[in-house]
Amino acid sequence: MTFQDLILRLQHYWSAHGCLIQQPLDVEVGAGTSHPETLLRVLGSRPWSVAYIQPSRRPDDGRFGQNPNRLFKHHQLQVILKPSPDEVQQLYLDSLEAVGINPRLHDIRFEEDNWESPTLGAWGIGWQVMLDGTEITQFTYFQQVGGMDLSPISCEITYGMERIAMFLQKVDNVFDVEWGGGKTYGDVRLREEVEQSKYAFNQQTGISAERYSTFHRHLFDETYAFAQDLLKGGLILPALEHCLKCSHLFNLLDSSGSVGVTERMAYILRVRQLALAICKQYVEEEQGAANG
Amino acid sequence: MDRELLLEIGVEEIPASWLPGLTTQLGQVLEAKLKEARLDTDDPIETFSTPRRLTVRSAHIAERQTDLEELVTGPPVSAAFAADGSLTPAAAGFAKKQGVPEDRIERIKTPKGEYIGVRKHQRGRAAVDVLPEVLSGVLRAMTFPKQMRWDAALNDGKGELPFGRPIRWILYLYGGRVVPFTIARSPLAQNSRVQEINAGANTYGHRFLTTTGRPGRAVKVKNFEDYRKRLAEHFVTLDRNERHDRIARELDAEARRRGGRIARSLVGQGMLDEVPDLVEYPVVVSGSFAHEFLQLPEEVLTTTMIHHQHFFPITGDQGKLQPVFLAVLNMQPEQPEVIARNMERVLTARLRDARFFFDADREKPLTHYVDRLATVLFHKKLGTYQEKATRVQELARWICADVLKRPDLADHAAEAGRLCKADLATDMVRELTELQGTIGGIYAREDGRPEEVWKAIYFHYLPVGVEAHAPPAQEQLGKAAITWAAVSLADKIDTVTGMFAAGERPTGSRDPYGLRRAAQGIVRILVDLPELTGLDLRLSLGQLVRADVDEAFWSFMADRVRFVLEQRGYDPRNVRAVTHSAITELSALTAKRKLEVLPEFTESPEFRQLAILFKRVKNIAKNLDATAKDVGGRLTEPAEKALAAEVDRLQPMIEATVSSGTGYRQAFGEAAKAGPAVAKFFDDVMVMADDPKLRDARLRLLRRLERLILQLADVSEIVPEEK
Repeated sequence: MTFQDLILRLQHYWSAHGCLIQQPLDVEVGAGTSHPETLLRVLGSRPWSVAYIQPSRRPDDGRFGQNPNRLFKHHQLQVILKPSPDEVQQLYLDSLEAVGINPRLHDIRFEEDNWESPTLGAWGIGWQVMLDGTEITQFTYFQQVGGMDLSPISCEITYGMERIAMFLQKVDNVFDVEWGGGKTYGDVRLREEVEQSKYAFNQQTGISAERYSTFHRHLFDETYAFAQDLLKGGLILPALEHCLKCSHLFNLLDSSGSVGVTERMAYILRVRQLALAICKQYVEEEQGAANG
Repeated sequence: MDRELLLEIGVEEIPASWLPGLTTQLGQVLEAKLKEARLDTDDPIETFSTPRRLTVRSAHIAERQTDLEELVTGPPVSAAFAADGSLTPAAAGFAKKQGVPEDRIERIKTPKGEYIGVRKHQRGRAAVDVLPEVLSGVLRAMTFPKQMRWDAALNDGKGELPFGRPIRWILYLYGGRVVPFTIARSPLAQNSRVQEINAGANTYGHRFLTTTGRPGRAVKVKNFEDYRKRLAEHFVTLDRNERHDRIARELDAEARRRGGRIARSLVGQGMLDEVPDLVEYPVVVSGSFAHEFLQLPEEVLTTTMIHHQHFFPITGDQGKLQPVFLAVLNMQPEQPEVIARNMERVLTARLRDARFFFDADREKPLTHYVDRLATVLFHKKLGTYQEKATRVQELARWICADVLKRPDLADHAAEAGRLCKADLATDMVRELTELQGTIGGIYAREDGRPEEVWKAIYFHYLPVGVEAHAPPAQEQLGKAAITWAAVSLADKIDTVTGMFAAGERPTGSRDPYGLRRAAQGIVRILVDLPELTGLDLRLSLGQLVRADVDEAFWSFMADRVRFVLEQRGYDPRNVRAVTHSAITELSALTAKRKLEVLPEFTESPEFRQLAILFKRVKNIAKNLDATAKDVGGRLTEPAEKALAAEVDRLQPMIEATVSSGTGYRQAFGEAAKAGPAVAKFFDDVMVMADDPKLRDARLRLLRRLERLILQLADVSEIVPEEK
């Protein structure tokens, strides 16, 4: 099964099981959780079931296209089920069957692995799903987001698409995965990995460390201040997007070695405060709408 | 007639590390709730578990609650009877409310005065009517290392029911019949796919394996025997010991088949204890990896296999690691080789990563990474790891030269101190954090540094356990025993004193920086210094800690000393007795030596006599003004002269023991002999005599005795509890 078929089959499966199929957030994020379809929809009481692909950028994981398993950008298929149905584990296992993984031929386990994102004031209880020793999915019952207890509880299922494709195609190098139509993952993405890694670590860019740092700090500060203004204006979604941009800018400053240790903590704290404020205001408006 | 009770709580996968504790807890909680509910059981409660179920069974539970005799008190007698002896309205109302005829009213004497009351006899309810409340109580009482909310509630008036993982079914049978019980769902969640959970007679087998029908379907059971049998048919081995033994047996057999044996020294007991709680139906498979990876340090290979993949490494002749691993599946696979191939691919990918990190790290010597520590924060008030490394370097040098009295090794200790944190900046430790220290040691060895240095780095996070046999052993440490002690002590002292200064004290169960463990490591090294290093030094904490520390630090350390000694199995009373002196001056090693011999004496009549009277000695000796001059009074009575002679006899011997640190057995034995003389003294002599000179002389005698015995122990702590 090709990489694109894998995406299509899973989307089809979850569509058939009552999920809206959404599109990726068109802002740089590190994980599907940052998408408002997760981050905001799990807040408040309204039921919501959705699935979408989210290209996820992790500057620190960039390996210049040389590591067979690690990528600057990978793809998550994110499923949110709110409230979480009783049969959620079985639903998930059936989705594996739908892409050709027969559980009777493999060793599939749910191993304890709780998830936490201090920056988003979020945590959950759950497992990593192991398929013959490979972690292919993170399975989480969200407990808190934006520092607030959730009710009802949502279940988040995050498939690591490259890992699953490598498993299905029995290849040892992600760049050898067939993306579709005879083209490999490397054909599609190798150049991007090389260049983005250089950018993330500011290596062979011809840009001085100072210029790199000044530019991104400046962007961070401006974007942060603007996000606060947007929030004051009640524009929660634009404010969230700007908050996520800040988070990504910080990740770049971090991977390029532009921030010192104490400063690092301060950056994380600032993003967290903004994210919490956004979530809080969203919930207040939701409640206002429900009561009004 | 007694009947069998069977409860199975079906859950989504519970973390393996919780399972043994939760299983025991469920048994204890059920036993307590049955007792509370007055349902008698003669047999011990049996408990079982797999990752997906917590099961408890009692063969005989009474069919009815025991009857209850209850005495209910009403108003005081003074308000209960009118002048003519008839009941007041208050008393009549009380009888009516309690539902008893007025002639059943009795007078009851209480410490607060006389009241009226009635005896009520309450007939026990049928077990089947009480058991739902018992289960409510059980589910409420269970505690978890981390609990979760899952939109569930009980109808017991307390609302939401958090649990360790979502409950998916309840099997609850009494005498073969279902006990009605319901877990409700929160109104916000409830819909066609989120439904209440009703107790039934069904269990569920293995998720993927079955002999008949569809895997994972409900299986109806009649009683415990039937339950166990049906589960076995559906590929669930209920008994943990059975799973454990089967795993151990199959691992050994498969290892032999692959020409080696399980590397038990590398695996330790940990993984063998964990794996049975990860599976319902264990099956062992084996795989291999390329020979070339054997060039990686053994520690990297085994950590990758054990910690990351739960694979068992195997060793061949002379304990050499083989390019083979074993894995325990939760599956009876149709084609085991398919799973083995997949596992080989994962392991190979990880080993290839590890080799990449190893090669990248090894392009530079370990010293290079000390500079990179400037970007790794230790604590915001205490600076970076580079600053910590500098402090540890100097502290290790000083401890080695001045405290351990080995100036010849001080340069090695200082070098190990400077390098011991460097591996935190390497890619390998960023990937395999559990190898911190180990990797630094290996890289230092590869850089050609001497054993005194590389092994001191390698082992400097140890000791972690407080037991006498916990690693490291002196043979492992080799030539690095003393430099290791210096670096390990320096690192831990720097952490604990620094964190206390930064206001980061452990409180209750919160100890995010692991300060208790670090402090116990310090104590452990001091307690076992001769066994670990060959140095027979009785070091006090005051000799080791140069930093400016406060009272809270010392009282924390005193607790840690007592904790370590109590963990060694010494009686807490004896521990208090030998740790009475100021913590700055206390030698934990001396305390241990005293504790080794003390139990030989504590039961002897003379020693008990001394212990009981010693409190009196201490109390009376307080009356002596220590600053006043000796007025030269003379002892007159035979009993006091005899005691003075005892003290004269004991003094040189005890002082010799204390200064040499040996011979505590003899010293305690001799001190115990003073018991009768002390008793005779208190029988015959009035200490607080009118004659001030005489009184002074007697007080001085007691003070001498007190000081002398205290050099051994505060024996008043050892007074046996009165029977």
